[in-house]
Amino acid sequence: MRRDRETAWLRRGAWYVALIILSLPFVFPFLWMASGSLKTPAEIFAFPPTLIPDRWNWQNFIEIFRYQPFARQYANSLYIAALVTLGTLCVSAPAGYAFARIRFRGNTVLFLLLLTTLMMPAEVTIIPNFLFMKLLGLINTHVPLILLPILGANGVVSTFLIRQFFLSFPQELEDAAMIDGLGRFGVFWHVAVPLVKPALGAVSILTFLYSWNLFLEPLVFINDLRLFTLPLAINNFADAYGVPVWHLQLAATTLSVLPVLAVYVLAQRRIVDSFVLSGMKG
Amino acid sequence: MKRILVVLVALILISGGAGTRAAERSPLRFTIWSGNQAHLELLNGIATAYKRTHPSVDVRFDVVPFGDYVQKITIQIAAGTPPDLGWLLETSAPTFINAGTVVDVGRILRRDQAYGFDDFSKRALQLWVRQDAVFGVPFSTSPFITFFNRDLFKAARLTAPDQLAARGAWTWETLRRSAYAIARSAGQGVYGFESVDGQGYDVRVWHTLIPIIRAYGGDAWEGGQCRFESAEAVRAVQFYLDMIFKDRSVVPPGEQGDFFSGRAAMTMNQLSRVSKLEGAKFAWGVAPLPSGPAGQVAVIGQAAIVVFAKSPNRDVASDFLKFMTNTENTVKMAKFFPPARDSVLKSQEFLTANPVVSPAQMKIVADGIRTGTVLPNHANFPRMDAGARPVFDRLWRADADVPAVLKGVCDVLRPLLKD
Amino acid sequence: MSTGPLILPRRARGRAFFDALHGYVFIGPQLLGFFAFVLGPLVAVFVFSFQDRDLLTGAVAFVGLKNYREIFADPLFYKVLSNSLVFTAGLVLLNITLALTLALLLSGSFRGVTTFRTVFFASVVTSAVAWAIVWRFILQGQQGVLNQFLEIVGIHGPNWLREPRWAMVSVIVARVLKNVGLNMTIYLAALKSIPREYGEAAGVDGASGWQVLRSITLPLLASTTLFVAIITVNGALQVFDHILLMTAGGPENATNVLVYYIYRQAFQFFQIGYASALAVLLFFVALGLTMGQWLLRGRSAEA
Repeated sequence: MRRDRETAWLRRGAWYVALIILSLPFVFPFLWMASGSLKTPAEIFAFPPTLIPDRWNWQNFIEIFRYQPFARQYANSLYIAALVTLGTLCVSAPAGYAFARIRFRGNTVLFLLLLTTLMMPAEVTIIPNFLFMKLLGLINTHVPLILLPILGANGVVSTFLIRQFFLSFPQELEDAAMIDGLGRFGVFWHVAVPLVKPALGAVSILTFLYSWNLFLEPLVFINDLRLFTLPLAINNFADAYGVPVWHLQLAATTLSVLPVLAVYVLAQRRIVDSFVLSGMKG
Repeated sequence: MKRILVVLVALILISGGAGTRAAERSPLRFTIWSGNQAHLELLNGIATAYKRTHPSVDVRFDVVPFGDYVQKITIQIAAGTPPDLGWLLETSAPTFINAGTVVDVGRILRRDQAYGFDDFSKRALQLWVRQDAVFGVPFSTSPFITFFNRDLFKAARLTAPDQLAARGAWTWETLRRSAYAIARSAGQGVYGFESVDGQGYDVRVWHTLIPIIRAYGGDAWEGGQCRFESAEAVRAVQFYLDMIFKDRSVVPPGEQGDFFSGRAAMTMNQLSRVSKLEGAKFAWGVAPLPSGPAGQVAVIGQAAIVVFAKSPNRDVASDFLKFMTNTENTVKMAKFFPPARDSVLKSQEFLTANPVVSPAQMKIVADGIRTGTVLPNHANFPRMDAGARPVFDRLWRADADVPAVLKGVCDVLRPLLKD
Repeated sequence: MSTGPLILPRRARGRAFFDALHGYVFIGPQLLGFFAFVLGPLVAVFVFSFQDRDLLTGAVAFVGLKNYREIFADPLFYKVLSNSLVFTAGLVLLNITLALTLALLLSGSFRGVTTFRTVFFASVVTSAVAWAIVWRFILQGQQGVLNQFLEIVGIHGPNWLREPRWAMVSVIVARVLKNVGLNMTIYLAALKSIPREYGEAAGVDGASGWQVLRSITLPLLASTTLFVAIITVNGALQVFDHILLMTAGGPENATNVLVYYIYRQAFQFFQIGYASALAVLLFFVALGLTMGQWLLRGRSAEA
């Protein structure tokens, strides 16, 4: 009896050790980045490399706010990412649902057409898009940074993912609701959406991250330092010859990681919640 | 649901409004790649001073990250929303000038006696002047100098490079011997020499090879002819390769040995890197680039201010350019950016501009500016760099066939040099 | 499990039409956005590909198929194309396998599972620049952590980023480790949607964990795998930042992939026409691969 418990203990322990070893290549660079944010520039590239800084230079985190309007830039990234995420959910959830569930002429063709969005690199489409935005007078505003992600490649991926999830569910629940007299929209909102919460959670994480890390679009569309988003701002911690000021870049990057991790942990709960399916058995 | 939509729409409208409100009256747009607050204060100060005599002119400085600078301004030029003025790096100069993208400000500059166009070092202007036309005015002319770790030299009981230079004995041979001695004696993880920014095997391969090739009497190209395969160039490159693979004193390909962290005894770089020595745990000094069989060589990196041809405010912009590069403002900017004006180079303000660098050291910089030439440049340089680099990659092996590789470089460069 | 609507009597045909209208309204915003911001640029790129267009001088000239002819006559193009295909194949295989494995490992609920999930996601949120620096550091020839570790077990590791053969592998592995957390998240969501009863019932019937995986879980994940594959293939064909940061296309063009080549043509040589022609070719490669995967999905009745 005791030996059984011991082997169960050992198995558990080995399991955790294996996971920890597996996670090392993922987490080590992250830790290096975080520790670099507290070092002096010289220390960052010292040999042998140290994970724990000599002295904890907390003033790095103060200096990044003095170097440029970093707080404003941070807020820019935050509200843009929030809007893009909400907007994507509003646009892609109905679209994904319709492609999966509603019979209409051109369903498959239109969907495949939408997929072509993924096949052209942004580096090339940015020039026609810039011309278009210029025509609309939207250069040096945040509007392109909100519209393009919602309706561009990331939006298409989100629609694709949501459609995917719907297709993997049987339609009985929705059909029953339709027969009960709930209109299509009602079925969508009250029955379908709760079904795919994991997908919505995944879409939220992916979209928030996508918007948060966008570099090319802000680079091209934004001129004013105060309208910069985080990736541009971080890139800007460089001297007049383009050489990065590492300790500031790493401090800024470490700070910028927090909201995304927060969104991840929150959305994780959405994904982890198992809910509906017990009613589906049999 | 409806509430969320309303909030969303409101947010979008507000953000759009906030963006457009920033562009009420059109100021002069001036693109720069430094986002440093101190630099911006300086530049904004100059703009404010200009406004006192030209009340209707506002200048706005747009910061573009250095690595994406050319990409961004060409998109803007192509789309018809060019900046009015901007910084331009030396490597882009021939391309932009040949394409007619920048304005000739020669007449405006020469007309004004007070401006003192002749005060500029002729060599420093070389890249930007075509006969009488002046396409840009350099605001930063920074020579490459040798940085060295005084403590490592002392520990190895070697004479420091600046003392050797004062005696006229600072050559590539002495550099090699010093690097070798220090690498042997200093122990694990310390090298004798690091290439520019540690990128001498990729992005900075030109900065690494050209100084030594020129010191040996060669060059990259001259008058449309590729000179990499010349005997002098081969000798120089073989010398450097021997340092890497025979002496093992240079940081080898794929390794890291950052001078500024004390892991290499010497490196070559521009003065601006002095900021990386803040808080350094070792004593350091600077010396000119070492001389070779062909004598003393100075290499400079440059950035200039240009007016863009497609700007709708060319005349105003040109006038502001003249103002920004006059003697008074050049002195102000000399605090951060080495000037190309002779009078300023000799001035006390320049020699004492940087608190961390002694006047004697600044004099080395001043000499470099006066006598230095830029790296080889050409309108086709981007293509030449893209084509030559994969060939240069073959150099960095212990068994590299130097003449064959350099011939390969010339084969790639020859058709591009013709244009 | 039916996936179509019920059979409709005549009165309901009107309802079907009304329903289809709902369909168009639901996809409306997405589709409008597509026509405005995607189709327009796509068409523009196609048009540019038949022109000599200098980004800097603004000179435009119609040249027909000249760009394409030059591309097919350039040996570097074939190298770059094969690099892209090899890179994509390697990345997709490694990424999907690893993502699925991690998701399976972390789909249960044991103490600390959320922490581990967040840990594997940490690489996704690390900045691309910091990631590149650390991996360049790990992959050094002599001082690199990886090679020092290999020395302990008696293997003499190569100079990972400076040898043409190994550079591609190194970039693939570094890239996969950075992004696999995303696909893992998608698989986690998919796994959570599979009723646990399926696996439990099979377990009661005597099936081993491995058999449950093969015969029940994987087939149920088929459509998710198709999705992940299409997204990852298209993503891999467009990797740019890591190539730029880790190897800049080298050594000796070993990691010069199509997107990097396009970027240089457009923004370093300013030849938008040539770059657009290359982009059109990339488009058709991506289209071919995606269509291929889409048509092969036949086995899974749902997608």
